[in-house]
Amino acid sequence: MGYNSCFDIIGPIMVGPSSSHTAGAVWIGRVVYELLGKEPEEVEIQLFDSFAETYQGHGTDKALLGGLLGYDTEDERIKHAYALAEEANLSYDFTFADSCEEFDHPNVAIVHAKADGRSIVVGGASVGGGLSKIFRVNSEKTDFSISTTDDLKKLRESFSEAVGR
Amino acid sequence: MDIQSTIDLIDYCERENKTIAEAMIDQEQVRSGRSREQIFEMMKERFLKMQSAVQDGLNDASEAPSGISGGDAVKMKKYIEAGDMLSGSIISDAMACSMATSETNARMGVIVATPTAGAAGILPGVLFSLQKNTDLEDDDLVMGLFTASMLGYIIANRSFISGAAGGCQAEVGSATAMAAGTIVELKGGSPRQAVHSTAIAMKSLLGLVCDPVAGLVEVPCIKRNVIGTSIAFSAADMGLAGIESRIPCDEVIDTMYDIGKDMPRALKETALGGLAITPTGQKVKERLFSKSSLVDQLRGGNEHADDRNGKSTASTETAETGGR
Repeated sequence: MGYNSCFDIIGPIMVGPSSSHTAGAVWIGRVVYELLGKEPEEVEIQLFDSFAETYQGHGTDKALLGGLLGYDTEDERIKHAYALAEEANLSYDFTFADSCEEFDHPNVAIVHAKADGRSIVVGGASVGGGLSKIFRVNSEKTDFSISTTDDLKKLRESFSEAVGR
Repeated sequence: MDIQSTIDLIDYCERENKTIAEAMIDQEQVRSGRSREQIFEMMKERFLKMQSAVQDGLNDASEAPSGISGGDAVKMKKYIEAGDMLSGSIISDAMACSMATSETNARMGVIVATPTAGAAGILPGVLFSLQKNTDLEDDDLVMGLFTASMLGYIIANRSFISGAAGGCQAEVGSATAMAAGTIVELKGGSPRQAVHSTAIAMKSLLGLVCDPVAGLVEVPCIKRNVIGTSIAFSAADMGLAGIESRIPCDEVIDTMYDIGKDMPRALKETALGGLAITPTGQKVKERLFSKSSLVDQLRGGNEHADDRNGKSTASTETAETGGR
């Protein structure tokens, strides 16, 4: 579903251990960073289903924070994302639920973020192999695949109005 | 150009007199607008990262942060050096290279997802073993990655490649199927033979569940990657011998999808079933996460799923402990 390139299959280059629970999660966090244009000051991250069950073993939490700090999937700083989030004055809160009614997939995260008095909400599902689908930006439904930094650029262009930048 | 089935693929290759790898490059050129050279260089970058992950893993006997994996690639290397392996050098070397990559992955080292990180050991396993045991050069193996990605592209778009979505059959199954077809093409087999080997490999892993202990991509994932390389070589040898899959490859892929859809949630990377809930698996989870009050809450919640919808807050301390 939605794989467009040989590099969606061979790739990403990433820190382990899971493409869907680590790399795909980096992309979801990174989308928030791109839309805000900076690290958020405050985030609430909702994890669903498989993300909620296994986030610790896969570093899904660290990957999301790494993405929120603007890192790439292969950035070895992801391992230390908690300490680095503290340094960046990013306050975070994780919540957990069995399944997401809004989007039917086992690897869903919804991020509510604030920076400079602006708030955004991004919903994403990591569908496998490091490919993530953004299904919601604020209250707007969308269907945007992210697997490369080129995709991030396209996303910024599409949503510049929606997020008031 | 958009190849969505192995029938499309064989038609294209036979009509244009091209390999599967060339078909992948053709499609990538059309879709990305990049030149052949650029596309090749991008793939080569991935190949070189794969090579470093293997080298790192073969020389690092340290444990993963979890303490439940690490050091086996070094053991395998020593065993091979002693020279008395039952499986012969091509399979033994593939086992060592595969283990090395998957151990690097578990250490949160840099790897290349092929097609996922959980299944990242299989392709490097077969490629670097082929290189060591035959006269294939780096650039040949880079072409092999194009073969693999075309097969994976068809599988990913018709079915799934992640354990959370379709079980281990989708993850190790897809990677093994891709590797089998790749070996055939690197050995000079036809696209049709490669597709049959892909089908044969995938059939042998249908139904495999995703049940990682404590949700970590280590037990049983690493050894399933290692075994995947032997299946890939066996399936490739059958294809090269002219043996065909009686069920066409596209139908096998579609079956993988149907089985994955029917698989219970507990067996799709939630760590709520299979090996994850054996007495030993449970003990590991408890040992790793016992310091975290958050996880105590979660564990209680596994038995009473309804209680888990409440809000819980991860403090820095609990979450950091959980990751180690």
